[in-house]
Amino acid sequence: MRLAPGPAALLLAAAAVAALLADRVLPLAALTGVLLAVCLRVPGGRYRPYVVATASSATGVFLLWPLLQTTGLHVLWEGPVVPVLGLLDVTQEELLLATVYSLRLAAVGFAFAAYALAVDHDRLVAAAGFARRSALAVALATRLVPTLERDAAGLAEAVRGRGVEVAGVRGRALLLSPLVAGSLERAANLAEAMEARGYGRAGHSRAPGSRWSDWDRAALGAAALLVVAGALWL
Amino acid sequence: MALASVERLTYSYPGAAVPAIDDVSLELRPGEIVALLGSSGAGKSTLLRALAGLVPHFHGGRFSGRVVVAGHDTRSARPAELAGTVATVFQDPEDQVVMGVVRNEVAFGLENLAVSPLSIWPRVEEALGSVGALHLSERRTVELSGGELQRVCLASALALDPSLLLLDEPTSQLDPDGAEEFLACVERLGCAVVLSEQRTARALGLAHRVLFLEGGRLLCDAPVEQAFDWLGEHHPAYLPSPPAEPGGVERADAIWRADGVGFSYRSGSPVLVGVDLEVGRGEVVALQGPNGSGKTTLAKIAAGLFRPDEGSVWRSGSAGYLSQDPGRYLVREQVVDEAALAVGGDQARALQALERVGLGWAAERHPRDLSSGERERLGLAAVAVAEPELLILDEPTRGIDPVRKAEIADWLRAYAAAGRGVLVATHDRTFPADRRIALGVEALVGV
Repeated sequence: MRLAPGPAALLLAAAAVAALLADRVLPLAALTGVLLAVCLRVPGGRYRPYVVATASSATGVFLLWPLLQTTGLHVLWEGPVVPVLGLLDVTQEELLLATVYSLRLAAVGFAFAAYALAVDHDRLVAAAGFARRSALAVALATRLVPTLERDAAGLAEAVRGRGVEVAGVRGRALLLSPLVAGSLERAANLAEAMEARGYGRAGHSRAPGSRWSDWDRAALGAAALLVVAGALWL
Repeated sequence: MALASVERLTYSYPGAAVPAIDDVSLELRPGEIVALLGSSGAGKSTLLRALAGLVPHFHGGRFSGRVVVAGHDTRSARPAELAGTVATVFQDPEDQVVMGVVRNEVAFGLENLAVSPLSIWPRVEEALGSVGALHLSERRTVELSGGELQRVCLASALALDPSLLLLDEPTSQLDPDGAEEFLACVERLGCAVVLSEQRTARALGLAHRVLFLEGGRLLCDAPVEQAFDWLGEHHPAYLPSPPAEPGGVERADAIWRADGVGFSYRSGSPVLVGVDLEVGRGEVVALQGPNGSGKTTLAKIAAGLFRPDEGSVWRSGSAGYLSQDPGRYLVREQVVDEAALAVGGDQARALQALERVGLGWAAERHPRDLSSGERERLGLAAVAVAEPELLILDEPTRGIDPVRKAEIADWLRAYAAAGRGVLVATHDRTFPADRRIALGVEALVGV
């Protein structure tokens, strides 16, 4: 089963909204688990940085929240008095809140990861009815950001390879101008390649988006249900 | 009847003193595969751009003569109008991919040509299938390897069903296996192909005809058998050569040593496991192996850019590292300043280094005004200027013409002979070295 980009993006957004609205642990855990499973289905281990970043952030919230809050009456552990923070203790209520907040963060993080990894952004923008030039600008910007990151890393490495350290604001500023120049050069090359492929010619067509399946319609229904359920019952 | 004809074409880029193409005439016939050879800056890319109409429409400049492709005179037909009749695959796949997902990328050109929407996806699938890339259809373009991406670019060109396919050093960014697969795809095509290529052995193996350019002039236009004779007489470096034998220099004191080195990137499995290697003074060591075998990683460890997760490394003296595609990573506004960066701005030493790579004349120019081959040499000068004890080069011959490659090899040999060490990560089996190290996941094997 593969959802069309629109319903897939809506369903993931609804899951994130439901997670932010929900305040019960079990439904939140289930939602987080489902979103994690969606991420893990992405082949080639591409989910790793997203999952690791989300999981470590959520774990951080879970560990720090009880120590930074002073809520609840049922003390489970009492620690030393720390300057500025005061008495360190952990209560049952704080643990519950820490669990809810960390699960919310994890669910939103996994929903974003699934959107970034599994949704066809080119077709999503096209399906949203933007003008073709605007859709292309979005596609190019999305594609060129990782290229820019790689170029920045490559520049820093090339300079360090000559025995020159790139440190501090001044060192990095040295790389800004060549990075911009490199991007402009790439842009000129890309413009040439696009013209060679017929871009700018009078008239164009658009590849048909996939027709919505029953799964897509079900996903739209599920998205609405998730938001309502998140607000009222979860 | 000719598919394309070039009549007395002379073309100069804006501001250029000498023409990039000088009085060239030729004809291309339907279905033939033509190998376009010549050194960096000989005019190969310009000739291809003229056939695609990009010269003069995209680049401007002075244009005389006539280029006609499938009845379209390129002086009046813009490149976008020629698209479909002509398709081009450029050198660097990173610079020609537009969309985020492979199938959308292949569909892009078809959409531009206003192909009927219902036939777009079938043509996309057919084109991807013809280059063995159908399995990549749903993949994101940013995640593909260079070889995969270049095949997608070829599929994007083929989807347009062109009569003339122009390939501008399409394998220069690929390893030998990727290049072999790409060129095997080209061999199966039915349209006319003009292939500009520095891996001359393979190009000559599949071409029907050979064009040789030098200084913008067409020196040879002959069937492949006759072209072999001509190349043997005038440019023997372009003839296929067997893998180079190890040079066998006796190893002196070690300059760098790795003991049981292991390394993993944050998001992946180990790239290097238990690597033991030594580079001695006076020797050129070639690191070889397929993509992903850890050549670049080991080279960066030798340069001190990466620290190994396991094992230890020892180095005596300084190291300099020249990355892949160094022409992209130039940071100064003048060539001489670029070369002087590693020696604290010492312009006298920088000028000497530039002279050694034949770029003394370009000292005052902006690095990005140089051709790609000249930028590669500037990168080498910018690293070697500090005369590091250990010089580490990552794929220094990629996209370099055979003559220049031989010059680099000789220069490195002389550099090592002065009591320094040279470590070269390369796919090129013909690159001369004193020792070749086959790098794989399991072990290091001297070959």
